[in-house]
Amino acid sequence: MKQKKSLFNLWNASSLIILGLTILFILYPLFLILNKGMFDPETGRFTLQNFYHFFDRKFYWITLRNSFEVTIVSTALAVIIGIPMAYMLRRVKIFGSKFVQILIIVSYISPPFIGAYAWIQLLGRSGVVTKFINDTFNMNFDGIYGFTGIVLVLTLQSFPLVFIYIMGALKNLDSSLIEAAESLGYSNFQRMIKIVIPLILPTIFASSLLVFMRVIADFGTPMLIGEGYRTMPVLIYQQFLSEVGGDAGFAAAIATLFIFVTISLFLLQRILSRQYSYSMSALRPMAVQQSKGIKNILSHLVVYFVTFLAILPQMVVIFTSFLETRGGQVYTGNFSLQNYQNILFNRDLSMITNTYKMGLYAIVIIVILGIFISYLTVRKRNMINSILDTFSMFPFVIPGSVLGIALVFAFSDSPLFLTGTVTIMVVAFVIRRMPYTIRSSTAIIGQIHPSIEEASISLGASEAKTFYKVVVPMMMPGVLAGAIMSWITILGELSASIILYASNTQTLSVSIYTEVIRGNFGNASAYSAILTVTSILSLLIFFKLTGKKEISL
Amino acid sequence: MSVSINIDKVVKRFGNETVINGLSLNIKPGELFTLLGPSGCGKTTLLRMIIGFNSIEDGKIEIDNKVVNDIPVNKRKMGMVFQNYAIFPHMSVADNIAFGLKVNNLSKAEINKRMEDIMKVVRIEAHKSKKPDKLSGGQQQRVALARALVIHPKVLLMDEPLSNLDAKLRIEMRNAIKAIQQQVGITTVYVTHDQEEALAISDRIAVMNGGVIQQIGKPEDIYSRPSNLFVAQFIGTSNVIKGKIETDESGGVFVRLNENYKEKMDNLSEIKKGQEVIVAVRPQEFILVEDESSIKGVIESTMFLGLNTHYFVKLDTGEKVEVIQDAEANEIMPEGTRVHLKLKSKKINLFDSATEESLIKAGG
Ligand SMILES: Nc1ncnc2c1ncn2[C@@H]1O[C@H](COP(=O)(O)OP(=O)(O)OP(=O)(O)O)[C@@H](O)[C@H]1O
Ligand SMILES: [Mg+2]
Repeated sequence: MKQKKSLFNLWNASSLIILGLTILFILYPLFLILNKGMFDPETGRFTLQNFYHFFDRKFYWITLRNSFEVTIVSTALAVIIGIPMAYMLRRVKIFGSKFVQILIIVSYISPPFIGAYAWIQLLGRSGVVTKFINDTFNMNFDGIYGFTGIVLVLTLQSFPLVFIYIMGALKNLDSSLIEAAESLGYSNFQRMIKIVIPLILPTIFASSLLVFMRVIADFGTPMLIGEGYRTMPVLIYQQFLSEVGGDAGFAAAIATLFIFVTISLFLLQRILSRQYSYSMSALRPMAVQQSKGIKNILSHLVVYFVTFLAILPQMVVIFTSFLETRGGQVYTGNFSLQNYQNILFNRDLSMITNTYKMGLYAIVIIVILGIFISYLTVRKRNMINSILDTFSMFPFVIPGSVLGIALVFAFSDSPLFLTGTVTIMVVAFVIRRMPYTIRSSTAIIGQIHPSIEEASISLGASEAKTFYKVVVPMMMPGVLAGAIMSWITILGELSASIILYASNTQTLSVSIYTEVIRGNFGNASAYSAILTVTSILSLLIFFKLTGKKEISL
Repeated sequence: MSVSINIDKVVKRFGNETVINGLSLNIKPGELFTLLGPSGCGKTTLLRMIIGFNSIEDGKIEIDNKVVNDIPVNKRKMGMVFQNYAIFPHMSVADNIAFGLKVNNLSKAEINKRMEDIMKVVRIEAHKSKKPDKLSGGQQQRVALARALVIHPKVLLMDEPLSNLDAKLRIEMRNAIKAIQQQVGITTVYVTHDQEEALAISDRIAVMNGGVIQQIGKPEDIYSRPSNLFVAQFIGTSNVIKGKIETDESGGVFVRLNENYKEKMDNLSEIKKGQEVIVAVRPQEFILVEDESSIKGVIESTMFLGLNTHYFVKLDTGEKVEVIQDAEANEIMPEGTRVHLKLKSKKINLFDSATEESLIKAGG
């Protein structure tokens, strides 16, 4: 009995430590945001002044409308592209479909701002394609900046998420359901409308809401390609860091508003997904069929074309990284390793080493915390752990720029002065990217029957020994599947880093961003290429190690 | 070296719900003791109290007269075989079996020796380096059994270990379990809701219902002399018909089924004249007769099973009964045939209508 009690305390101790960290690094900073946004710093009184200010001037409130505009349009387009792509790959025999799927996953995991940057190279003011069009047709096309540019980039960035989700849902759709409808006299089209769509509807909802959240919180893309067309995250960043002093209270108020929007969406998603979910598992999944004639050709054309567009940014980045530039800005048309020479030998390497170093710290913490949090919330249900469960999904709701500001508010004074340190960067990475690992670890614990642990205990192992000898090894596939997503998205983290970095903690993505802003496309390409190749290699190593061909989102 | 298990007035509560309320039970050294009862009656709950996964709210459990209530599970040294086997999927068969030996810090030589012994006993050596997902259901079952036995537990606990297997394998494995249990000679508590399995495998059975033990006894005793109506109906098939107790001047006791038919009973305990009783008759305890002094009815349907034939008969009283006739007897009677039935008075069981307790004398 004694021993049981002390172990019980071990679990409780870890719950309490994690809760403490959550309060310190998530709740307290967020509280400061609300506080700064809604209370007058001088009088300490509640005020909506900042919000009036926001809605008073079109210059400000238009960003809210812009955000919604680009988000709704991109989400709709992502769904419209993602569903047929998934259906075609599940239904029609596409030559090289495995490869196509990997390319789509690769396009999904690379950070959106690299897409933005690559499309600027192609369709920007002085982009290759723009020049070609203008020269050939004697036109004056000025490049795809603003609304069109953002939508183009974010759609191509987001449809893979819908695609991956729908692929999963279709895999669980038993073909006997479709055959049953067929035997009852339903035509091909009717079966699609009456059976397939309704069954995957919850997945469509879920994935489009995830896309929505991602797109609305994206900072890098509108920042790079938006030009005058500003969205909320851009406004928050600019208000916070504006050259004329910056208005922290106002930035906080906008952040508050923004959190409201994202929390509402998050809750909506929770409600909807609870309402419309079926548990399906297919004994006989839908079979891929060899199509003939025009249908076959058309399917191949569409799939290849969309995949090409999706993967184009990565190819452009890698390609242009080998182009020689004059002064870093203008391409000469020759190939060279000049860009790599620039970034690797002519200056500090720290941006690259920082990225890997801080990324590694973060991923180690994420894996350890992720294992504990998911185990505690699934197996040791109590009040504290339920609270942890709720908070662990918070980072999905808090846009990176908001988190960045919140951390600055919280940790730029003693006693906890962390601004500009490695610690604050790692904290931001951990908070933002932990949910992937928690989600997939939680899912796998759900599949481990409690009697497995009981078997181990009955054989004489203590609870702690059971945990690390039986539970943790069994969790590993799920943990790793989540950790790979955490790792790759840490590499591309921009919106919080851009606010938190200092010269000695600058990362690759921050470097890419700053190089693009300065017009040093040569260096930007080389940095992007390194980032992209690292992501792809990480993914391939993961596939190799686990024998999987899918990632968990 | 086998141990006894004494369960003394144990109580189990989940929140406000009392699932087991003062249950007592004595299990003898080396016997295969089965907890049998319908779903939800508390078998698993009791088993998990014995091993220690469930706390004990009141009463005590003793192993070899030592109270184990407060000993943590990992110190109780009880082997458990789980319904889903709970084999560690990330370890090979050998590693699974060795798991309990390794955490108990045994020497390498001892581990190897015990491993070899047990793998021989359960006949799994050929598969020892396989991963569990490459094993068949029956092989997984053997691994689970070996893993539980190899630590030389004092007690072996099994919770519906066969319910994941198909019918044929179930019979094969239950014979294997019985054989291995006898060979090892370990006190075993076996949980099942399958009465046929319980009858086949057990030394003794405790029939449970609603957290209460209805009867404890050898399989044949429980089958032939159920102590109440619940047991009679739960174990095997029992037809239930109404009757009334009569006595005559010479002190003879009869059960009257209708105005023409009564049977003399020699084995009743205390009875009252005119007492209403329930007569429980197994299908093979009917005799087909021509005699008018009998129970009468019409065959509604028949089922030919080769060895014998089952007739489903609707009695004139409206009661429906199942009657078994050995195949060699006569030709199969068609549906609609009128039949006359008598009872084998030495075999049938009588229960009080009100209490549903048996009226048969002990040993009768
Ligand atoms: N952890 C628990 N919390 C609350 N009630 C429980 C718990 N475990 C069991 N019960 C209740 O106790 C009763 C007995 O359950 P138990 O699992 O022992 O039944 P069982 O006889 O093993 O049934 P089965 O044959 O279906 O396995 C049931 O009513 C069940 O709902
Ligand atoms: Mg049970």
